[in-house]
Amino acid sequence: MSTNLCSDLLLLMLVPKERIASITHLATGPAAVLLPGAADGVPTNRATAEEVVAQVPDLILASPWSATALRRLAAQVNAPVVEIDAANSFADIRRITREVGQAVGEPARAEALVAQMDRTLAELAATAPERPIEVVAWNGGDAVPGQGTLTHAIIEAAGARNLSARLPGAAAESFGLEELLAARPQAILRGADRFDAPSLRDSSGEHAVVQAGFAGRQIIYPATLHACGLPQSAEAARQLRTALERLPPGDVRW
Amino acid sequence: MSTPQTRLEAHGIVVRRGGRTILDGVSLVLEGGQFTGLIGPNGSGKSTLMAVLAGLLVPDAGEVVLDGVPLARIDRRTLARRRAYLPQSPRAEWPLPVERMVALGLTPHLPAFGGLPAALAARVDAAIAQFDLGAHRYQPATTLSGGELARAMLARALVGEPELLLADEPLAGLDPRHALDGIGRLSALAGRGTLVLASLHELTLAARHATRLAVLREGRLVACGPTAEALTAGMLHEVFEVNACVTGAGTRTASVDFT
Amino acid sequence: MSARLWPLIAAALLVLGVLLSLGTGAVWLDPALLAGSVVSPKPSLPWLILWELRLPRTLLALLVGATLGLSGAALQGLLRNPLAEPGLLGVSAGAALGAVVAIYFGLAASFALAAPLLGITGALAAAALTLTVGRGGTLTMILAGAAVSGLMAAGLSLALNLAPSPWAAYEITTWLLGSLTDRGWDQLLLALPFLLAGWVCLATTARALDALTLGEAQAESLGIDISRTRLLALAGTALSVGAATAVSGAIGFIGLLAPHLVRPFVGHQPSRVLLPSAIFGAILLLYADVATRLIPTTQELKLGVLTSLAGTPFFFWLVTRLRRTAP
Repeated sequence: MSTNLCSDLLLLMLVPKERIASITHLATGPAAVLLPGAADGVPTNRATAEEVVAQVPDLILASPWSATALRRLAAQVNAPVVEIDAANSFADIRRITREVGQAVGEPARAEALVAQMDRTLAELAATAPERPIEVVAWNGGDAVPGQGTLTHAIIEAAGARNLSARLPGAAAESFGLEELLAARPQAILRGADRFDAPSLRDSSGEHAVVQAGFAGRQIIYPATLHACGLPQSAEAARQLRTALERLPPGDVRW
Repeated sequence: MSTPQTRLEAHGIVVRRGGRTILDGVSLVLEGGQFTGLIGPNGSGKSTLMAVLAGLLVPDAGEVVLDGVPLARIDRRTLARRRAYLPQSPRAEWPLPVERMVALGLTPHLPAFGGLPAALAARVDAAIAQFDLGAHRYQPATTLSGGELARAMLARALVGEPELLLADEPLAGLDPRHALDGIGRLSALAGRGTLVLASLHELTLAARHATRLAVLREGRLVACGPTAEALTAGMLHEVFEVNACVTGAGTRTASVDFT
Repeated sequence: MSARLWPLIAAALLVLGVLLSLGTGAVWLDPALLAGSVVSPKPSLPWLILWELRLPRTLLALLVGATLGLSGAALQGLLRNPLAEPGLLGVSAGAALGAVVAIYFGLAASFALAAPLLGITGALAAAALTLTVGRGGTLTMILAGAAVSGLMAAGLSLALNLAPSPWAAYEITTWLLGSLTDRGWDQLLLALPFLLAGWVCLATTARALDALTLGEAQAESLGIDISRTRLLALAGTALSVGAATAVSGAIGFIGLLAPHLVRPFVGHQPSRVLLPSAIFGAILLLYADVATRLIPTTQELKLGVLTSLAGTPFFFWLVTRLRRTAP
């Protein structure tokens, strides 16, 4: 049983679905895009303690911030809880994938996934462009990812330079439009998933200067692969490389 | 003033509120130059009748006619220019200078936009002088004493030179000197041709100054006519349920004594 | 005494405020460079920042501030209540609810006018409810406003509760705090017609508001159509505050502060308070918006939070003064 979106996806990749007691309801959308068909027919949960009692799983994948009630009940039904923390680098992804692989008894499968990821990363590193393209992952100025985030790692792996690297961590610090314009990135990366719900940005919130100024210089990235450390995050880097190669040459117009 | 004989007629006025009949078929005729005192016990419907006659309240039955035209058919601005109305204990809700408060009486005369035209400003000056408010001209109206406020409100009502003045208990809460002053001004106004109707509680003042009396009891008009004829001990006994001695009604030495 | 002085003070504050607002931002640019960008070849960075970001933001601060100041003055005049204000009467909360519904349930994405229109609808509903329930005195009106604000806040909480994603919920909360950050010409042009229509409605009530100084009975006897006046004030407030809130989020206390600020200078006649109150509302909000950019915080300081923080002490002062003067 998995109670967190990231472990949901990892679990779907590591074990056959017959062995999965349930994944969270949040995972159905992303799974349909990233792992087509993998989540079909898998029961879903809402990560509540009651469901632990009802499903009596052999193992619970949880995040460090899962409810304590869930842990208490897990102890009572003798289900070990494996905590998966957030991945902020490819090293984290290797560690977490192996940990979960161990926990669910699929270490070989985990190793294979890690090896696949490392092959992709090595390939990307070997073909890195001489002059890295400068980008910012910008989704409206809030929480622009800086140094020490997975998005930063993916950008570097793709052979680009993250202009917001000066910000520490998954910076909630503001990186407003003025700073964005002043930084003159050659492209901005926009997080999106096909299952995204409507939000302020879609309607009135998006500033016209972003659309006009970065016309042809916006790259959509799969937000889930940046939020969750998965072996597939290397694929996100590969997609980014491809997208960067298709960018119009030169700088922004100002 | 403008028309020598302003004529306000009420025909069979009926007002009902929440199943109660407040006015029950009141008919009366008021004319320019008359100072009519409207008297009656508390709850007899005086204020309601005032509001109906002023055109502020539409009666459930009957109609009020001004110079042959039903009030309902007179445009509200035109009516406002011809008729002034003072409710019970009027007050200013913002601390406006007296001068500006008096000028509000000219609202129906003002153009849609812009300030006070010079001709109208002169009327404000005249009203302030006429009501002895010169010393209070720039004083906030909210800080006036009761007597001063009553004068200022009267000035406000009359600055537009209306043909009719309907004042609901204009003397309420005034000390004798200010009450005498107030009723004297109303009486003088009627003397200059204005139609004046005021509801009054001071029967002696009514007996001395009002040229006519209209008497209400439980929503019905029980008497209406020249003060000398209407104000009798019998009427007072019937309407107010008090024994009174009336002498010289309709003259400046009249008195109403309760026994 | 200062009747002739205030236009000068206002003009000076306006010019200074506009210059400050155009000159400050997350990115420091030499004022000479900014000024020069007007004539230099485009697009340039200073020009983009000046024309696309700071100018619309500055104009919106002025428009929204003027709306709040004007509607505050009109409502205070209409209700003869010194505590009347779009925020305290629940109008802002109603507008916010309408706009949130439009934005987060996808209506605004498919139809650009949905946000201002639903904002106006929400504002209208809230104002009508407050004015109907709260008739009969300063206190009743404020209590009714609190009740309606509570109701609208409950609606907003429900919208948060049912928000389609945690990201949307986060956005709703930050948007509700009120902000003009990164607003552009699009939003300005979208809101402008409604703002202007609302202003016209409010301005036409001026004479009636004056007459209402004498109470409803006397105002009516002076030829004022009270229900028409009420309707105009209601529609004007709903149109302008609804559209403004749809752009900026809920911003409180400007509508309360501005009229009180100008009364000592222009007197208490409601019609004479309207324009100065609009102008000082604009000035107040402009300076507040500049302050959010100048006060160094790691997170962006939200405009609505700042106006509330600065406005609440004034509200307390007003309440204690009312307690002394009113029975």
